[in-house]
Parts: sequence; structure tokens; C-alpha cells
Amino acid sequence: MPGLTEALHQVMAIEGARAVALIDIATGMVVRSVGEAAGEDGDFPAAAASLAGEARIACAMPGPERTGGDLDEISLVTANRLQVSKILGSRPGGGCLLFVDLDRSRVNIALASLQIGQLAPAVLG
Amino acid sequence: MTDVGAEEAAIGQLREAFTVCVAAGTTGVLQVTGDPGGAILFDRGHVIAVQTSGAPSPEVLLLRSKLVPESEWNAAFAAAAATGAPMSAELISRQLVGAGELEALLLAALADAVFVIASGTVDEYRAEPGLPDCELALEPGAEAAWLVAEASRRIRVLAAETSGHDRWIVAASGAVRPGVMLGGGQDEILALADGRRTARDIAFVLGRGVYATMLQLDRMRQAGLLSTVSSRPVTDADGGERGRGAADGESDVAPGLPRRRQDRPSALRRPWAQGRASELRPPFSLLRPRSAWDGGGDQAP
Repeated sequence: MPGLTEALHQVMAIEGARAVALIDIATGMVVRSVGEAAGEDGDFPAAAASLAGEARIACAMPGPERTGGDLDEISLVTANRLQVSKILGSRPGGGCLLFVDLDRSRVNIALASLQIGQLAPAVLG
Repeated sequence: MTDVGAEEAAIGQLREAFTVCVAAGTTGVLQVTGDPGGAILFDRGHVIAVQTSGAPSPEVLLLRSKLVPESEWNAAFAAAAATGAPMSAELISRQLVGAGELEALLLAALADAVFVIASGTVDEYRAEPGLPDCELALEPGAEAAWLVAEASRRIRVLAAETSGHDRWIVAASGAVRPGVMLGGGQDEILALADGRRTARDIAFVLGRGVYATMLQLDRMRQAGLLSTVSSRPVTDADGGERGRGAADGESDVAPGLPRRRQDRPSALRRPWAQGRASELRPPFSLLRPRSAWDGGGDQAP
């Protein structure tokens, strides 16, 4: 069975990917990461905790009825970056974020999202 | 929270012990004596498991969260015992849990247990050679320095974001409305917030990490759904607000991580028994089942 790190490396193969991390939504803990996640920005654990907090809020937004379904993905687009956070697992108080940081100049946003969605189920599988 | 100095001392001692074990490439058990203390299993300098009464084990996380049904767990356990295969491999091969999901859960359990130990008190520690049997160990193990850094981060977050954790969690008046679902696991917590459970107790019952539970309780408290009291609350006979117990006898207890009731001084655990010691004959106490001695309440293992 491939380990988490190996699974994250497979996501890193997406064109333009700079870093991939698995973040525990409930605690904000970086479970595993590969690429430049821990480098450039200095305090990636703090950034990951913020991402997890945003995900918790976003997950709660649809309300308990969830008529539109569960939250699937959060995308953040800046001038130079595309950051996609895919929700994995939906247990109450559980679940993880598959965070992918991409170089926007090298990716097609829709295609990157599609590729991440295709690889995501295998990360926890 | 416990006072900051004590917390820093505990995590400092843990960091020191970890550094020694990593440098020596230890394969064995680091026994940490304290409150709650625990046993940290090292394999060639990496942490593969942590056993502490303060945090749910991976088994509790898997079973209580209903991720793995108990009957399936028992079948996997029997098969693993018969073949000698690791329990983790058995769970994965039976598709009860994904390999990545199990790895993430084991890491989360390790981080939670180290956080709990680091947030308490460390009286002493010693390394012992030889690894005891461990049903669910992380292979390869986690970096000890990473675990200490994560525990430190969690302690800082709780110090910054919470206004102090008293012992008992109580649902606020009107928080529970028939037919109204809050979602996000809040309803389960409200159902348990009866003033007789701490955050630790709730974490064990729901099969969640202690730190994650403390964060959620804090958010719910900020939303006005919960309150905490420092002693057992009094329930109004007319269904009024539950909780708000008097803080008598508790004001000198430093608020900190949720603790088992058994960890508290006996006079605080059983205020009704004060002055009755002479009435309680020794054989009386021996009638208590063993499960009631070390379980941290009715639900915790």
C-alpha cells in the first residue's frame, strides 16, 4: 500500500504544482506535506491552521440541511497562484483537506481542479 | 488552562526526553510519569505509538467514531491474532479503512496524545528497552521534533483563543431545540453536555481527539451554545438553565486540560462523602467493578 507521502507526490505531478499537503480540518495539523509547503512562507503550520479554520466555516455555511450537498472544494486565486483545497472525508469532527498550491502561470484552472479531483480519492484510500 | 510556567516546563521536559531518545536511536518505551503522563513507544528514534489515559487511542477513535463497526473490528482482530499479521494490515485488507486514512488517523492520535501529555505535568521520565505489543503502531514512525512542535502550537492556540477550560461542559439554556439540527457534530456534543462530562470525556465518547474537541467546545461556547462550570451543576426541577454549579472547593484548582474525575482529590470527586469516611467499610469499596476504577467516567475506556 502506498503511504500518504507517496500519494501526495502523485498529486505533485500535476503541471504547475508547487506544494501539496494533507491538513486535518479539526485541528489544523499538517498531516503530511511535500514540495515547497514548508519553505518559502516560513510558517506553513500556521497557514494550514488558518486554512482548516476557513474550511470549517465554509463547511458550516450550507447549514445542517445541506440542500446543495456537502462542501467539495475551496479555490483561492491570486495573481500568481492557484490554491485548491479539496475536502476529503466528511465525518463529523473529522475529515482532511488536500491542499494544492499551484503556479497560476503554468496551469489551466479548470483542468487543475479536475486533475486534483481525480487524484484526491486515492490519497486516503 | 494550567499556568503557563507549568505548561512550558512540561513541554520542555518532553522535548528534552525526545531529544535524548532520538539521538540514541532508541527502540523502547519512554515512560513519562506525571498528570496524565503516558508511555511513548520509540522505534529507532521515531515515535510509533503513545499510550496515555488522557487521550483516545487509535482503537477508540476508530470504534467510537463508528468508522469501523465493532463486529468488524473483532473479526479483524481475531484474524490478525490467528495469522500474526499487523492489525493495521488486516483493517486495510478488509477495506474497513483506507491506508492513507489510517496513517492520517494514527498521526492525529499521536499528536493528540503528545499534546495531552505536554499540556499536563511531567514529574519524571525514563527510557526502557523493549517494545510492548501495540495493536496499531505508525510505520514508519513520526518525527519526535515534529510532535513536540505540534504540541507547542496547540498549547499556544489554546492559550490565545480560550478563556480557560473549567471542568464540566453544560448545554446552554435553549441550545437544544426539538427537531432543530445544528450539524457539524454539534448536536452530538450538546447531547453529551450534561454537566457531568469534561472535554476529555466527550472526546472519548465521540471518538475524537481531545484538542479537536476542546476547539469545538470553545467555538460552541463562543456561539452561546455551551457553558462550563467548575463543579457539578444543579439542574432546575422546572427545566430551567442547567449548570451554573457553585464553584465551591474548586476555585483553587488550576483550570487546564480536561481530566478524569478520578484524577481529582477524593473530597472534590465525592463531596457527598465528606465526613462519611468512617461509614465506608473497606469491603464496600472493593465491590466496585474494576472498570469503574480507571475508566474516566462511564464512557471512557
